Amino acid sequence: MSVLVFLEFSNGSLKETSKQALNYANSINDNVYGISDSNIDGDNLKSLGIFGLSTYFKFSGSFTEKNSFNSIITSIKDFKINFIVFPKSNHFLKVSSNLSVELNFPLVTNVVSVPKFENKICIKSLIFSGKAESNVEINSDNCIFVLNKNIIKISSFNKSVQIKEISYKTINSSSDRVFSINKEKIEGDILLNDADIVISAGRGLKGPENWKMIEELAKELGAATACSKPVSDAGWRPHHEHVGQTGLKISPNIYIAIGISGAIQHLAGVNSSKIIVVINNDADAPFFKHADYGIIGDAFDVIPRFINALK
Amino acid sequence: MNILICISCVPDTTSKISFTDNDTKFNSEGVQYIVGPYEDYALARAVELKEKDNSIHISVLNVGLANNDPLLRKALAVGADDAFRINIFPNNSLHVANQIASFIKENNFDLILMGKESIDFNSAQVHYLTGSILNIPSLSPVTELNLNLKDQKILIKKEIDDGIETLEVVLPAILGCQEPIAEWKIPNMRGIMNARIKPLKVIESFADESKVNFSKFIIPEKKENIKIIDENNINELIKELKLKNL
Repeated sequence: MSVLVFLEFSNGSLKETSKQALNYANSINDNVYGISDSNIDGDNLKSLGIFGLSTYFKFSGSFTEKNSFNSIITSIKDFKINFIVFPKSNHFLKVSSNLSVELNFPLVTNVVSVPKFENKICIKSLIFSGKAESNVEINSDNCIFVLNKNIIKISSFNKSVQIKEISYKTINSSSDRVFSINKEKIEGDILLNDADIVISAGRGLKGPENWKMIEELAKELGAATACSKPVSDAGWRPHHEHVGQTGLKISPNIYIAIGISGAIQHLAGVNSSKIIVVINNDADAPFFKHADYGIIGDAFDVIPRFINALK
Repeated sequence: MNILICISCVPDTTSKISFTDNDTKFNSEGVQYIVGPYEDYALARAVELKEKDNSIHISVLNVGLANNDPLLRKALAVGADDAFRINIFPNNSLHVANQIASFIKENNFDLILMGKESIDFNSAQVHYLTGSILNIPSLSPVTELNLNLKDQKILIKKEIDDGIETLEVVLPAILGCQEPIAEWKIPNMRGIMNARIKPLKVIESFADESKVNFSKFIIPEKKENIKIIDENNINELIKELKLKNL
């Protein structure tokens, strides 16, 4: 029995969610293979043993979506891998479902617990935008898990990483009909999905010109910025910052909501945050019922004070 | 040009979520059902495209039971030409994808639009799974869609993990849609009247074996009581957050 983890790197270092995925894989079996879209060099690889990686599949040849997919399928069969673990991301949602169909492995997304192996595989998954959980039973010897963020504590391992070289094979696939024309990167250093701390603001800020203080606070805290739906609908902030039922669903360690009343649709996007701080001048704002810490006060007084205190 | 919109019928976004039958079934009592908000965007975009080019034919499809028919009628009122319902309770993502894929194999569609995810089970997989089963491109979440019918191509914008990608895709293709692809459309009186006579066909389900079973539902415990911090004492908040490893 062995486990394969799909890993993501950012500027050469392993992302937090990938470290969590490696830890998760070790709770299933300690024979943990790893794979990533871009090859990582030797020194960097060796350091991944402390996160629980046993063997890294290093592919030779030039990477394309097509040839990598086919080679991954072959490796999964050759190395008798039963379980595949993905940290959740847009890209991995696609890869995981393609693998699920190709390998006939059942797939569960929004996973929030380690599996129990009884007659079936039993796991917990988040549903109804985080308003409920479900026990999921999987009737198979194999499974693909796509993990939500921050569901496991990282512990350290004492493994030395083996490297298995595999060469790419080329095939035709449906991606032959998709042509990338342009990629625009989102401005800002910290991506909303990766951020440990998120500062989010709503209509209470009165206008887009008042986001300077939000950005300054985010900078002091090393946080990413987000917003509520009315704010992105009004064009005050870009759509990719919208968190909520129909926007991004995030689960940072700390979520600070400023001037957001906390409608149920907004909560659906942020209710898996570990700690929620609400700053609002309306003491009756529904968000206070779901917060860990609350400050009742005017954002225009509180935020500058917050920034000064951090400085 | 034939467009298929696959819709989910889900509890309204403001619904209180609860379960019955020993927490094994969703409690639909007093719950208002809606077309999934993401599919509503997809449908609205298709109708916008049809307004420009009347040769476009729009079909809607739902995998579900008869209580979803009023929502299929609503989609017809918004502007779809015909509706189909595969008569089976949707068990899990692969189950739904298999039903949709079997339907598409028997019919001819150039473009299949879905939401990026349903708002009940949030798996965000059905479009990708359907694409894999049929071996046609599947892309999500798509925020902009334009047609190039002459060359059987579409031009789309799609969110990627660190930005937005513009892509050209040769049809047929499947898209998982998300705002701001279009503005939601509200059916007008003429649409509602017309919808009554548009065809709604019920189809028996296709054979399928499910391995994933949602066996029991749990409402997570509520947070402990909030700690209110005085607005003049911001340092206390910073101290509290530092204790929690800020």
